[in-house]
Amino acid sequence: MSLTTKTRNYFVFLWRCGRIAFSGDWRYYAWMGFLSLFVLLGINAYAKQFVHGLITTGMSDQVSWGVYIANFTFIVGIAAAAAMVVIPVYIYGNRELHDMVIFGELLAVAAILMCLAFVTVDLGRPDRFWHLIPGIGKFNFPGSMLSWDVIVLNGYLLLNVHICGYLLYCRYSGRLPAKWFYIPFVFVAIAWAVSIHTVTAFLYVGLGGRPFWNSSIVGPRFLASAFTAGPALIILAMQIVRRVTATAPPAEAARWREATPETGTRRPATLADLEVLGRHLPELGSVPTEARRGIVETATLLEVGPGVILLHQGDTDKEAFFVLKGRVVVMRQEAGRFRITRSAGPGEQFGEVSALAGTPREATAIAEEAATVLRLPVEALRKLMKTPPMNKVVRARMSERLMITDRALMMLRSIVQVSMLINVFLLVNEIFKEFYSRTSHVASSRYLFFGLHGHHALVPWIWTAILFNLVAMFLLVLPVSRSLKYLNLACVLAILGIWIEKGMGLVVPGFIPTPLGEMVEYSPSLNETLVCLGIWAFGLLCYTVFLRMSIPILQGRLTQANEGDNGAARSFRSVSAAHEQAAYH
Amino acid sequence: MADANLPASGPASGETSRRSFLRTSAVLASGIAALAASLAPLRELTDYTAVEKFFQKHYKELTPDEMKQVLERIAREVEKQYQVRPHVRDYKPLDGVEFVYCLNLTRCIGCRKCVHACVAENNQSRDPEIQYIRVLKMPHGSLDVEKADHNYAPASVPEKGFFYMPVQCQQCKNPPCVKVCPVRATWQESDGITVIDYDWCIGCRYCEAACPYFARRFNWTKPSIPKERLNPEMSYLGNRPRRQGVMEKCHFCIQRTRAGRYPACLEVCPAGARKFGNVLDPESEVAYILRTKRVFIQLKEEVGTSPRFFYYFDV
Repeated sequence: MSLTTKTRNYFVFLWRCGRIAFSGDWRYYAWMGFLSLFVLLGINAYAKQFVHGLITTGMSDQVSWGVYIANFTFIVGIAAAAAMVVIPVYIYGNRELHDMVIFGELLAVAAILMCLAFVTVDLGRPDRFWHLIPGIGKFNFPGSMLSWDVIVLNGYLLLNVHICGYLLYCRYSGRLPAKWFYIPFVFVAIAWAVSIHTVTAFLYVGLGGRPFWNSSIVGPRFLASAFTAGPALIILAMQIVRRVTATAPPAEAARWREATPETGTRRPATLADLEVLGRHLPELGSVPTEARRGIVETATLLEVGPGVILLHQGDTDKEAFFVLKGRVVVMRQEAGRFRITRSAGPGEQFGEVSALAGTPREATAIAEEAATVLRLPVEALRKLMKTPPMNKVVRARMSERLMITDRALMMLRSIVQVSMLINVFLLVNEIFKEFYSRTSHVASSRYLFFGLHGHHALVPWIWTAILFNLVAMFLLVLPVSRSLKYLNLACVLAILGIWIEKGMGLVVPGFIPTPLGEMVEYSPSLNETLVCLGIWAFGLLCYTVFLRMSIPILQGRLTQANEGDNGAARSFRSVSAAHEQAAYH
Repeated sequence: MADANLPASGPASGETSRRSFLRTSAVLASGIAALAASLAPLRELTDYTAVEKFFQKHYKELTPDEMKQVLERIAREVEKQYQVRPHVRDYKPLDGVEFVYCLNLTRCIGCRKCVHACVAENNQSRDPEIQYIRVLKMPHGSLDVEKADHNYAPASVPEKGFFYMPVQCQQCKNPPCVKVCPVRATWQESDGITVIDYDWCIGCRYCEAACPYFARRFNWTKPSIPKERLNPEMSYLGNRPRRQGVMEKCHFCIQRTRAGRYPACLEVCPAGARKFGNVLDPESEVAYILRTKRVFIQLKEEVGTSPRFFYYFDV
């Protein structure tokens, strides 16, 4: 393929992703409109701050960082937590979480964008941002921890954009990702995730004049709370994705038919059929003729019309399929709702996951248009996979699906469970050290937990946070949180508790009392709050758009192959239109 | 999201494409209008950053010629804003000089004259009020700042049972503020004064968080100084008027001390509590005090900052 074609294809990919971000049903528009409203309010508030200065906030010389830096600190943790989805997959080979890696990394991208926004709005001279650019400005590296933060945050952003962007583009263009082009980055990103949060902790830990922060436990506490709040957020987000990508049974469901002699033809497969498949699946060329003969002997060729069911969710037959012509959509049914998990075109397979694993079918496959498929028993599939190229392509495509299983969520639950226990344990350590020794350095902690010299603005907040953390911890440890309802409650409480404790509970008391013993309290102004809401809305907007673009790609419904393919597009739209009809009437 | 709603590709009928074009334009127009409306406060922006100012180099990278132009520009701006023609100079540190401040806690009466002399000399904002010196009223017998009263306002000072401790930038030998600045906008000069390039500071306030002495002050909004109160004798790293969004602090009155004069806070002190000079000169008053006093205090010695500001007592 020439470079021009490659470039063109890439821009078409970006263009199509961009268009999808602007299309959706009324719920999508309502949600995006709601977020945009808050983004605009935030921009408006920031414009005021830009003109009048940071006096529009509640900060002062005494408490010189507030909710901006507090939110920044919390969200760095959310970004770091993407590693908690990646580690089980790439280090321990966990398959359940594999399907969620991209969603975790996209969350990291959205989170880092929010972090950068929070730091930027905190600057007194945002017009001088270029002083921070290494090589152009005057970068105090490695002296200033803030310069480290600039490097690790932007580096983490690039790593994750590269990994997600590359994997999604490969999926879109139907190519297999080249391992050397992303696996090394995945491992770098894991270490990097730890670094972004450690460096952020060191921003505080390195300040000798602030005893509340100048404590070696701050770094470990940051990591423990991040690895609690981050996966907790992913648990909630994935259920939302699962929910909104599912629809009521499509209207055509009534017309779905079994594959019978009336709905299509079937005949024993021939070597010529394998040739046809080989045109779409070049890796098949590696299978010797002798092996091919053995394979076609047991294989069947099916030609079916649209709406014909090729395999049923829950069945225990052991056969795999390859598409020779047309398109097959695979749908999973959960609690009466349907979700497209993948869509297979010529050369692509379906039904292989459960066939190889010997488990019941996880979804139902239906011909979306007139289709020709090759059906093989699992033994024949195993023979095909004996050559390394075939083994590689089949295994790689096995993970190309949109699947969010309860088992994956339970895997995340055990991560949140352990992290939460460590988090609370470290908190207890810190409380003991502060209050048992009762040195003069306990002033900030006393202010935070009990109030000092008649000032106690943070006392109700921190006790709320501790209550939330403890309830979340008990829920997570008890078997009740194996039910999603209680798991979700635990996640919400954990996120809120950590947000308070690590945001306001860490940043603000570090300033109170001042190094000269003055008591000045802080509470955010309305304008400052609007800026924060704007950035949160911006982050959610980014994440929604990322999901909006990546879901059809992961489902195999937005591919390079269907660019300009009107037949396929029309057929999708007719299915979609029917879905919508069914969903809202 | 009931579906992926993949955008239709291929030719659409004329009617549909016109309608969708109109719809897209309407959405686009209202989006731009909403964005413009949200940006409306920017119309109040009067202090546009000029291009030359935007690209101005770091203090240490300015050539003498460029520095001349920058000083000229600052003078023009001050004149435009205050209708006063200032003398803006760039005073360099002198060889063989290390400035040290000594403050006699036995003598200080807590009158805060130093605070106000400093404000007048260094063109600090009057509204909002910025002061470099904070005088702590402390009960006899303790140096614990947590017992300090910052806002004392009796009819007359000194009050019985208390002593007074003025705190300003301690000009540390090991300054945490310099270490943390991400853009090297603040540094220590060879005469021991830690300075700030107000034209380079990005306003992240990390130095303010790092300072163990509450010595740094931020311009939370546009500073304001009455025209008639402006001190026209200015220096680049010292008392020239600052802008919104940058940090400032005590610089031992660079425009005076590097020209052989005493800091304003010392000159005004009615009790003779303040001593200032070159510690490298054995004949200087400060060298004599540090040599002969049996006890002197560096605030928060345990933090390891090694201040050039010494508190002592008449014993």
